[in-house]
Amino acid sequence: MVDHPLPTAPLTAAVIGTGGISQEHLSFLAGRTAFGSVTDRVRLAAVCDLSPAAARYAADTFGAPGCYTDVGRLLAEVQPDVVHVLTPPSSHVPIATQCLEAGAHVLCEKPVTACRPELEALLAVAHRSGRRLMESQNYRFNTAITTIGAAIEAGQLGRVREVEVRIALPVTDPGGRFGDPNLPSPIHAMPAGVIHDFTTHLTSLLLDLAPGVTWDRVAAAWSRHGDNELFRHDDLDALLVGAGPDGAVHARLRFDARTFPDVFTVIVRGSGGTAETDLFQPYLRIVRPRPGGSKLSPIVNHVVNGFGMARSGVRNLGQRLVQQGQYEGLHRMLDLAYTALVQGAELPVTEADMLAASGLVDQLLSREVAL
Amino acid sequence: MRILVTGATGFVGRYTVAAALARGHRVAAVLRPASSGRELGALLDHPGVEAVRVDLRSRAALVDALRGADSVIHLAAAKSGDFYTQFAGTVVATENLLWAMDEAGMGQLVAVSTFSVYDYKALPGGSLLTETTPIDADPVKRDEYARTKLLQEELYRSFGAGHRTVIVRPGLIYGRDELWHALLGAELGPRFLRVGAKAILPLLYVENCAEALVLAAEKLAEDPSPVDGETINLVDDDLPTQGRYVDLVSAVMEPPASVFVPWPVMRVAADALDRANGMLLGGRAKFPGIVVPEKLHGRFKPLRYTNAKARRLLGWAPRYTTEQAVGRAGGEADLLAQLAAPAGGLRTDG
Repeated sequence: MVDHPLPTAPLTAAVIGTGGISQEHLSFLAGRTAFGSVTDRVRLAAVCDLSPAAARYAADTFGAPGCYTDVGRLLAEVQPDVVHVLTPPSSHVPIATQCLEAGAHVLCEKPVTACRPELEALLAVAHRSGRRLMESQNYRFNTAITTIGAAIEAGQLGRVREVEVRIALPVTDPGGRFGDPNLPSPIHAMPAGVIHDFTTHLTSLLLDLAPGVTWDRVAAAWSRHGDNELFRHDDLDALLVGAGPDGAVHARLRFDARTFPDVFTVIVRGSGGTAETDLFQPYLRIVRPRPGGSKLSPIVNHVVNGFGMARSGVRNLGQRLVQQGQYEGLHRMLDLAYTALVQGAELPVTEADMLAASGLVDQLLSREVAL
Repeated sequence: MRILVTGATGFVGRYTVAAALARGHRVAAVLRPASSGRELGALLDHPGVEAVRVDLRSRAALVDALRGADSVIHLAAAKSGDFYTQFAGTVVATENLLWAMDEAGMGQLVAVSTFSVYDYKALPGGSLLTETTPIDADPVKRDEYARTKLLQEELYRSFGAGHRTVIVRPGLIYGRDELWHALLGAELGPRFLRVGAKAILPLLYVENCAEALVLAAEKLAEDPSPVDGETINLVDDDLPTQGRYVDLVSAVMEPPASVFVPWPVMRVAADALDRANGMLLGGRAKFPGIVVPEKLHGRFKPLRYTNAKARRLLGWAPRYTTEQAVGRAGGEADLLAQLAAPAGGLRTDG
């Protein structure tokens, strides 16, 4: 293993891949965050894309001094401390390997790899290089999720008994980036096809909200209900039963492309209360014992949640007006990651988190659990 | 000459294929791999047309697709979707095409741009818009289409430094099924918000446009020096006001139920909203384009237009007046209609 001294802040960062998600990473690196400047920790040094025009546009828009179309040249000339790998998933392993071996930490979009053994191998490269690899599990850091996590931690929901994570998106639309038959997305080649782009969100949120559970009974129905033949699957319905420190926990992980509206709902049911949110139109509803005892609790819950829904409605309207999306957690995650890298502390998404999320996806895909 | 036409199944593309055939050329019509080509109708079976199936967003097979072509008329662009979708469909697609032309040793490009690239907000009302009018140098508040077409023009100019290139900026192209357009107003629920009646429309009838594009390709091939490296605006001769145009098209189509707002009222309202956004929300609010000054001015500001350079350099004159054009768009006489007819002959009416 290579020994590296702690880097001096600000770290230099490079971004490889300048597609849609890059604007969230680049806006953070350019210091355009809700919590102000991050330039004490990180400085955007370069961007890289196969398309020179795309690389140049990203560099001009976000103020990157360097602009590359070749990863090797970027690494040799810029020698970045950190590289954000934002390319299609099938290219993550070779690019991340190249970056790690060149001495850069890697923050990689999800899924980092197609399966857990590939992830283990890539982590071994990171260990040998003395560098760190982190997967973007951004939704874990959205305010609604961290609030639910805090409620669980504080015992407000009692013992967690059930978790449901559901994503509904019309991915099969032939006019969309996944359904376009003219230039099929490389994600179709992943083991779960297009749904693989979302499985990390499903599993990482489940693992985050029900920590310490061993998911030993898993059943997964992978289906194609639509008529877009590019898709191996466009629907996942998975039931999981696990053994946790506080007893059995049930879970349902769901992806569907046929229902309206688009949602990303997360529901946690505990022995003492229930919490739910929709990360696409954020709100938070927590039903739990309130001051006033069992008689007054239902009324207090109605009042508190009613005001909460009204507040969320106004806030969502405002966010729609300024076209702010659902990626607030990504900036928070990156902020924590850079702070950790500067301090040599644990990253906000640990290797154990990544391995568990990837392992659970493998479990969902294994032949033995297919319905 | 064998002309490769990108975006051949699009509105302008179909007429450009027909115009090239009518002028005696052969056409390589670029279709997306999954396209049925049905938009081309009988043109697809014409002996002078060869369908070339590639997606310009990928470099795969592009160089081979270009082999045998003498000239390219590049019409393909993404007109809808978010910024990154339009960036891929317009900017990356153009970058790939130009790369492939370079690889294939091809150097004759009719590069189709748009009037949307101009900096309308900075132009005084009533001024004459020409090829020397400044383009928008800071288009951050413009729509995705204008922003990506500006980036596309940068690519054109860079390519033009080493290859025969003419950049053509058409005005608002109209024709069959495309008579009611964005320079008249915007949809407002079940009604149409008509903005202004007195502004001159920078119109270009689709058959006039197609003929000009083919003429540009011919000029580049036969006598390049006057047009090579030039930027040329294309508009028709007898440009109507919004009100006059609505009267004309009303004869061949049922206009949508409309609410009318005069241009000065709309301009003041958009400016007020923009100031309020700046003062109260730090400019962060994103309103519909119809009330964003930069976009509003691009669509409705009263200006004057000229096609003098196109006439001079291309030897082009719009074949059809606006009245004739509206009649053809609403009837059965245009080039595509002729091709669809059983006789299937191609001729242009003079």
